[in-house]
Amino acid sequence: MNPIIPMLVIVPLASAFLIMVLGKLIRDLPGYFTSAVFLVLLITSYYAWMHNGNGITVYKVGGWEAVNKIPIGIYMVLDGLSVIMLCLISTLGFLSAVYSLSYMKRYTGEEYYYALLCLLVAGMNGVVLSGDLFNIFVFLEISVIASYALVAFGVEKNELEASFKYQVLGGIASLLILFGIGLIYWKAKTLNIADIREAFKAGYDGTYYTFVQMLILCGFGVKAAIMPFHAWLPDAHSSAPSPISAMLSGVFIKAVGIYVILRLFFSMFVISEQIAFVITALGTLSMVFGVFLAIGQWDIKRLLAYHSISQMGYVIMSAGIGMILLSRGTRPDVALLAITGGLYHLINHAAFKGLLFLNAGALEYRLGTRDLKEMGGLASEMPITAGTSFVASMSISGIPPFNGFFSKLIIVIACIRGRFYLLAFLAILVSIITLASFLKFQRYAFYNKTNAGKDLTGKEVATPMVFSMIVLGMLCLLMSLLAIPSVRESLLKPAVDVLMDAGNCMSKIIGM
Amino acid sequence: MLAGILLFFIPGRIRFVKELISILAVMAALYSSIVLFGTGDKLISVDDALRTGYQAHHNCLLADHGSICFQVDGLSRLIVLFLGIFGLLILVYCLTYNKGRIKGFYSWYLITLGASYGAVLSDNLLLFIIFWGVLGITLYKLIPGTDEASSAAAKKTLIIIGASDGIMILGIAIIWKICGTLSMADVSLPTSGALTAAAFLALLTGSFTKAGAFPFHSWIPDYAQYSPASSAAFLPASLDKLLGIYFLARITTDLFILTDPWRMLLLSLGVITIVAAVLMALVQHNCRRLLGFHAVSQVGYMVLGFSLGSMLGVAAGLFHMLNNVIYKSGLFLTAGNVEFRTGKEDIDELGDLSRSMPLTFFGAIVFALSISGIPPLNGFASKWMIYQAIIDFGSGSGLPNKLWILWLGLAVFGSALTLASFIKFIGGIFLSGKKQEFAQVREVPVLMWAPLILLALGCLLFGIFATGIILPRLLMPVSGVFVPAGFWNSSLVSVLVLISVLLGICLYLITGMKKFRTEDSFIGGEKLYETTGYPVSGFYHTLKEFRLMAWFYQKAEERWFDVYELSKRFTLWLSSLASRAHSGILPHYTVWIIAGLIILLMIMNT
Repeated sequence: MNPIIPMLVIVPLASAFLIMVLGKLIRDLPGYFTSAVFLVLLITSYYAWMHNGNGITVYKVGGWEAVNKIPIGIYMVLDGLSVIMLCLISTLGFLSAVYSLSYMKRYTGEEYYYALLCLLVAGMNGVVLSGDLFNIFVFLEISVIASYALVAFGVEKNELEASFKYQVLGGIASLLILFGIGLIYWKAKTLNIADIREAFKAGYDGTYYTFVQMLILCGFGVKAAIMPFHAWLPDAHSSAPSPISAMLSGVFIKAVGIYVILRLFFSMFVISEQIAFVITALGTLSMVFGVFLAIGQWDIKRLLAYHSISQMGYVIMSAGIGMILLSRGTRPDVALLAITGGLYHLINHAAFKGLLFLNAGALEYRLGTRDLKEMGGLASEMPITAGTSFVASMSISGIPPFNGFFSKLIIVIACIRGRFYLLAFLAILVSIITLASFLKFQRYAFYNKTNAGKDLTGKEVATPMVFSMIVLGMLCLLMSLLAIPSVRESLLKPAVDVLMDAGNCMSKIIGM
Repeated sequence: MLAGILLFFIPGRIRFVKELISILAVMAALYSSIVLFGTGDKLISVDDALRTGYQAHHNCLLADHGSICFQVDGLSRLIVLFLGIFGLLILVYCLTYNKGRIKGFYSWYLITLGASYGAVLSDNLLLFIIFWGVLGITLYKLIPGTDEASSAAAKKTLIIIGASDGIMILGIAIIWKICGTLSMADVSLPTSGALTAAAFLALLTGSFTKAGAFPFHSWIPDYAQYSPASSAAFLPASLDKLLGIYFLARITTDLFILTDPWRMLLLSLGVITIVAAVLMALVQHNCRRLLGFHAVSQVGYMVLGFSLGSMLGVAAGLFHMLNNVIYKSGLFLTAGNVEFRTGKEDIDELGDLSRSMPLTFFGAIVFALSISGIPPLNGFASKWMIYQAIIDFGSGSGLPNKLWILWLGLAVFGSALTLASFIKFIGGIFLSGKKQEFAQVREVPVLMWAPLILLALGCLLFGIFATGIILPRLLMPVSGVFVPAGFWNSSLVSVLVLISVLLGICLYLITGMKKFRTEDSFIGGEKLYETTGYPVSGFYHTLKEFRLMAWFYQKAEERWFDVYELSKRFTLWLSSLASRAHSGILPHYTVWIIAGLIILLMIMNT
C-alpha cells in the first residue's frame, strides 16, 4: 500500500515533463499518453479506496521516523477523506483528458496543454495527500499556477483578462495563506498537521489563534470561492477551455479549497462554536447569492460557474452545521448526517458540474458561441448532449431519482433535525431557483426553436467527447445509490469518520 | 409492475413493437391493479416482497427508521384501479393520435404510469416523494417543447412542480423530526403547533400544485394549451388529479388532524379556486386552455369536500374526483379529436362539426352536461353530495360552519358559470355557423372514438347508479359508512329525468317543430347562435365590462394571480441587483477580499 502514495503525485508530475519532451517529437502522443496516465491513476486510486477501508496509511518521505513521537520527516497521509478526493480527481481528470482528445484539436500547442493538465492533477493529488502545511502550500501553488496558465490557454482578450484577475486575487490568497502558515509555525514550532493539533491543544493565545484561523479561512476561501472571495471564479471558469472548466469547477475548488478548509478546521484547529457559525454563515451566503447571480446569466459557462459557488455553499453550510453541533457536543447523530450530506453533495457536484461543463463545451464546440440567446432547438441535432445535460440539470436541481436530490435531501433533513429551520428553508429556496435557471438553460439551448436554420451547424460531437459525457451521466444516476444506507455506510463512512473523530485520527498519525 | 415498465425504456426503436409492448405492460398493470383491488388491507414490507421473489427492493433512505415500503388500503386501492383504467384508455387513444409527436412518448408514458403506481402505493414518505418527483420530470417530457410557447409552458410546469416538491421535502423532514417515523400509517398530527402547521402547509402545497388548486394552479392552463391532447388528458386531467387528490385525502384525513382555522383556509381556497378559474375559463378562446381552467375549477369542489371533514364530505370529494377524471379526460380527448381532424383549436375558427363528427359530438355533450352538473349524469351526483355535505357541515358550531351558506352559494354559482362556459364550448365547436373549410372533415378512427364513448358511458353509469352501486362498492370502504341526510336515489331520479326528457321530445315532435335531433333538446340557448350568428367566443365579453370583473381580468392578464410570474419577477430583480455589484473591475474585487477579512476579524473579536 505505502508505495502507491507517492506514486500518485510523482507519476503525473513526471509525465508532465515527459510530455513536454516527447510531444515535440510525436504529434498525437500527448493526448493519448495523458489519458493513459490518468487511467492508471484512476485504477490506482480506486484500488486504494477499496483497500484502505477505515484505516490511515502514512508514507514518510525518505524514511525519517518520528523521534520521541515528534514527526520530523515529510508525511503523506492517505485516509478516508483524501482517498475519496483522489478518486474524484482521477475520475474527472481521466474523463476530461479523453474529452480533450477531440476538443483540443482547435488549439495549438497541445503538448503544453496536456503538460499543464498533468501538473494540475499532480498538484491536487499532492494537496490531498500532504500531511503537513508546508507541502500543502507547495502543491497548492503548483496546481494553482498550472490553472492560471490553463485559464489563459485561449490567449485572447477575455481569457487573458480573466487569467490576470485570477492571478492577482489568487496571489493575495496565497499571501494570506503563507502568512497564516508562518504565524502557526512561529507558535507551534512544527508544520505537521497532527503535531500542530497537539501543540495547540497544550495551550494557546486566544486572539492570536483566531487571527490565524481567519487568515487561513480567507486564504482558502478565495481558492474555494466562498461568497465575498468568489469574484475571480465566474471569469476564470468560463474562459478556460471546457474540459479545464470541468476540472476547475468539478474538483479544483474542492481539492485546494474545501478539502483543505475541512481538513484544517476539523483536524488541525480545535472547533469552536463561533468559527463554526462563521463558516455556516459564509456557506449560506454563497449558497443564496450565488444562485441569484446565476439565474440572470445568458452565457452558459458563467451560469454554470455561479452555480458552482452556490453548490459549494451547500457543502460548506452543511459542514458548518456539523461543526456547530460537534462543538456543542449535543447531537452527534445529526452532525454525522450533516457532514455526510455535505460530502455526498461534494461528490455529486463533481459528477454533475463536470458533466454540465462538458455539455457546454460540446455546444461551444459545435456552435462557436456560449450565448444562450443564440441557441435553440438542438435537442434533435445533438441528442446525447441534450440527454446528458438534462440528467445533469435535474441532478443539480435536486429532482429525483438523480443523485443531487438525495444529497440535498440529507442536508435538508440534517438542517431540520438540528433545528436550523431557516437554513433548511433557504436550501430549498435555492434549490428551486437552481431548477428554474437550469430549465432556462435546457429551454434555450435545446428546445424553443427561435433561431432554427440560422447558423446552427449542430450535429453530435465526436466519440471521445460523447464517451466522457455518457460516463458522467451514468455516474449521476449511479451515485444516487449512495443514498442507500448500507452502501453509504461502506463508502462514505470512512471519510466522515475522519472529520467526526479528528482527534483520534490525528493521534494515530503521530503514533505511526 | 414497475420493473417491466422501466425496463421498457431500453429496447427497440420500431414503433409497432413499442406500441405492442406498452399496451401489454399497461394491461398487465391494469390486471394487477384489479387483483390488488380485490385483496384486503395490508402493508407489504420489503422483506415479504423479497421472499416472494419481487425485485422491487427499496431501502428506506435513512436506515433504522421504518423500512416498510408499500401500503395497500381502501384509498390507494381505489386510486390504483382508476390509474389502470385511464392508463389503458388513453394509451389506446394515443395509438392513432400520437404519430410522431413526441420522441420517446411511450417510454415516458409508461414511466409516468409506473411512478404513479409507486406514489400511490408507497407508505414511506421518502419513497413517495421520489416517485412524486419522477412524475414532474415525465410531465416535462410529455410536452414537445419544439416551439417557443410550448417550451415556455414546459419550463413553467416543471419549475412549479419542482418547487412544490422541494417544499414537500421540508414538510416531510419536519414530520420526521416530530414523529421519528416516515410511515404514513403511523403519523397523525394535530395542526396546532407552529411546526406542524408548517409541515401541513408544505405538504398541502405539494398536493395543491399537483391537483392544480388556486395559488399554484397556473401551470395547468398553459400545459393544457400547448401539450398534445393525449398528454393533457393523461396528466393534468386524470393522473395528476388522482394523485393530487389522493395526497390531499391522505394529509387531511390520515396525517393531520385539522382545526377550525385550517378548515377555514381550505374552504376559502376551495371556493376561490372554483369561482376564479371558471371566470377565467369563460373568456378563453382556445378550447384546450378553456378546459385547462375548468380542470382547475373542478379541483375547488374536491377541496371543499375534503375540508369539511365529515365522512360524507370525504366521500363526496373522492366521488367528484373520479367523476371529474372521467369527464375531464373525455373533454380533452374531444378537443384532441377536433384538432386531429381540423388542425385548429381556437373556438372562433371552429364550428358546425356536429354532423361530420357525430360520435365526438355525442361524447362532448355528455361530458359537458356532466361537468356542469346536470342530472342524471355523474357530475350532478357528486356535486349534489358536496352540497349535501356542506349543508350538514352548517349544523356545527365553529366559525367556518357558520359561513356554510357562503361556501354553498359560491359553489353553486361556480357550477352555473361552468354550464355557461360549456355552452360556449359546445356551441362554438359543434354548432355555430357553417364553415366551408370543414366540409371534408370526417369522424376520427375507431381507436380514437372508442375511449371517448367508453368514458361517456362511464359518465352515464356513474350518474345513474351512483347511490345504488358506486357509493357502497367504491367509496364506502374508503370513507367509512355514512348516513346521508336528505339523500336521493339516483336511479329513480334518472328514470324520472329520462321520462321527462322523452316527454319533451315527444312534445317537440308532436307540436310540429322542425327536425331536431334528440341531442339538441338537451341544450338551452343553442338556437341563439343559429339565429343571430353572433361569434360565440365574444359571447361573454359583456362580463368583462363590469367594473370589478374588469379589474379582475386586467390583473389576470397581467398575471398578477400567477405565483410563478410574481416570483419570477422578484427573482430576476434580485438577480439584476446582485449582478450590478459585479463590475468586473479588479480593484473592487480585491477590496472585497480585504473587507471580508476585516469583517470576519471584527466579528470574531467581539
